Amino acid sequence: MPETLPQPATLLVKLHGQGSRHIELTLETLSIGRKADNTLVIEDPAVSGHHARIVKVQAVFFLEDLKSTNGTAINGRPITRHQLRDADVITIGQHRLVFQENAAANTEAPAPFVDLDRTTVLRGTDRISDGPMLTAKVLIIAGKTDRLEYPLTKQVNVIGSQDGADIRLTGWFAPKSAATIARRGHSYSISPSQGTKSLLVNGSDVVGQQDLKDGDQIKVAGVKLTFCLLSGTKSTAR
Amino acid sequence: MRITASGQTDVGRQRDHNEDACLIDPDLGLYIVCDGMGGGNAGEIASTLAVEAIQAHLAEAVQHADLPLIGPCNATVSVPANRLASAIRAANEVVHRESWSRPDYAGMGTTVVAALLREEVLAIAHVGDSRLYLVRNGTIQALTTDHSWVAEQILKGLITQEEAERSPRRNIVTKALGVESSVDVELMEVPVKSGDMLLLCSDGLTRGVHPNDILHILSGSEDLPTMSDRLIVMANEAGGDDNTTVVVVALRDELQTGLWERLKKRFVA
Repeated sequence: MPETLPQPATLLVKLHGQGSRHIELTLETLSIGRKADNTLVIEDPAVSGHHARIVKVQAVFFLEDLKSTNGTAINGRPITRHQLRDADVITIGQHRLVFQENAAANTEAPAPFVDLDRTTVLRGTDRISDGPMLTAKVLIIAGKTDRLEYPLTKQVNVIGSQDGADIRLTGWFAPKSAATIARRGHSYSISPSQGTKSLLVNGSDVVGQQDLKDGDQIKVAGVKLTFCLLSGTKSTAR
Repeated sequence: MRITASGQTDVGRQRDHNEDACLIDPDLGLYIVCDGMGGGNAGEIASTLAVEAIQAHLAEAVQHADLPLIGPCNATVSVPANRLASAIRAANEVVHRESWSRPDYAGMGTTVVAALLREEVLAIAHVGDSRLYLVRNGTIQALTTDHSWVAEQILKGLITQEEAERSPRRNIVTKALGVESSVDVELMEVPVKSGDMLLLCSDGLTRGVHPNDILHILSGSEDLPTMSDRLIVMANEAGGDDNTTVVVVALRDELQTGLWERLKKRFVA
């Protein structure tokens, strides 16, 4: 894939009651304010003396509000500091500044403004979220526990007597942790804890780890449980 | 379970300073790798601050169980896992605040991968492209998904793993700690058992070294410091373009204790 050479980012400055002009963002810092020592001077009493600045860190630009009286907004949202992305509209009073990053490579993907040797942060892309969470529960058939039914809401559900165990064993000699039921993606699996002599699923010994399916009978530390996968329509017959 | 751990960090062959930081705290069961970014020495500052702040928050939580959690509580993971996420949010505040203190710190940030191990449950929190691998039964598996532009493209099926490895955009992370006033922490929990090994590492290792080669080293019979050193050597032989940091944790069986000893321990406890 041919990469276009990075072009300097620019700021399209549209001051209220004036025409617009472009400023190339070649400096490490561009200061904005009413006073004459700023890079971009805006003569307007609504603008603070040193109102805001744009700082370049490696290849990324940040807008920082310098605790101005009337504030700085990006795309209508007030900010104190913000990483600038292409076409961000900066509002200071009635003035508009449009950040333009490398117009030539302005595709659906982030512009290739990257310094190849350096790690750069890019924000705002949506991550694919997990699908709807499967829900499952265990029913206690025999043995001493503090409840008769436990929803498996956690990623790791501990069966044991320890504080914070999700399936709480209350027998006298119950181990602190007997086994764990873990959810990974859309499936559940059970594994014995250290020191657990016997973990049976449907009568067979589990070594290491075993996937669980609806209706599986679990026997561990003197307790018998039934694993139930809850789907929307199916009711669990007892 | 008997836990041993070893960490190593190296500047690599191209850079003039090391922006990575790591931590091994056996008392807390805490293991961290951070890869800092920013101009000048800001990256080092960010990663070091983050590691210290995470450790401090967790240590404080041990002293004061009622220490408020920072950020939302995730009901699908345990209380300690939520505490780990809280510690990372605390670190975000520290790094973010510090980034405002001096102009040359502006915009600094860091990746983080942190593991909190209690008994047989491992909580993992990460932001950015530092990874945690689990080695179990002769296989190696990344338990974290990079918060990077290329990883997102792979997830969407737009590019392949091979294209990602060559992509000029592979340095873009989509999340970092300290850059914004809040941070989105990815949090998960998995059961672990004796015989397992964990590897936390910065992208300096994974950029040039294939997971199978990592597995080969971690499956050997050498001690952990030697394994850590060999991983660093491999990263440097693959180019050493970046700083490399590794933390290796081994979970082994307790030395055989008799029934009597265990009973005694129980009653004393």
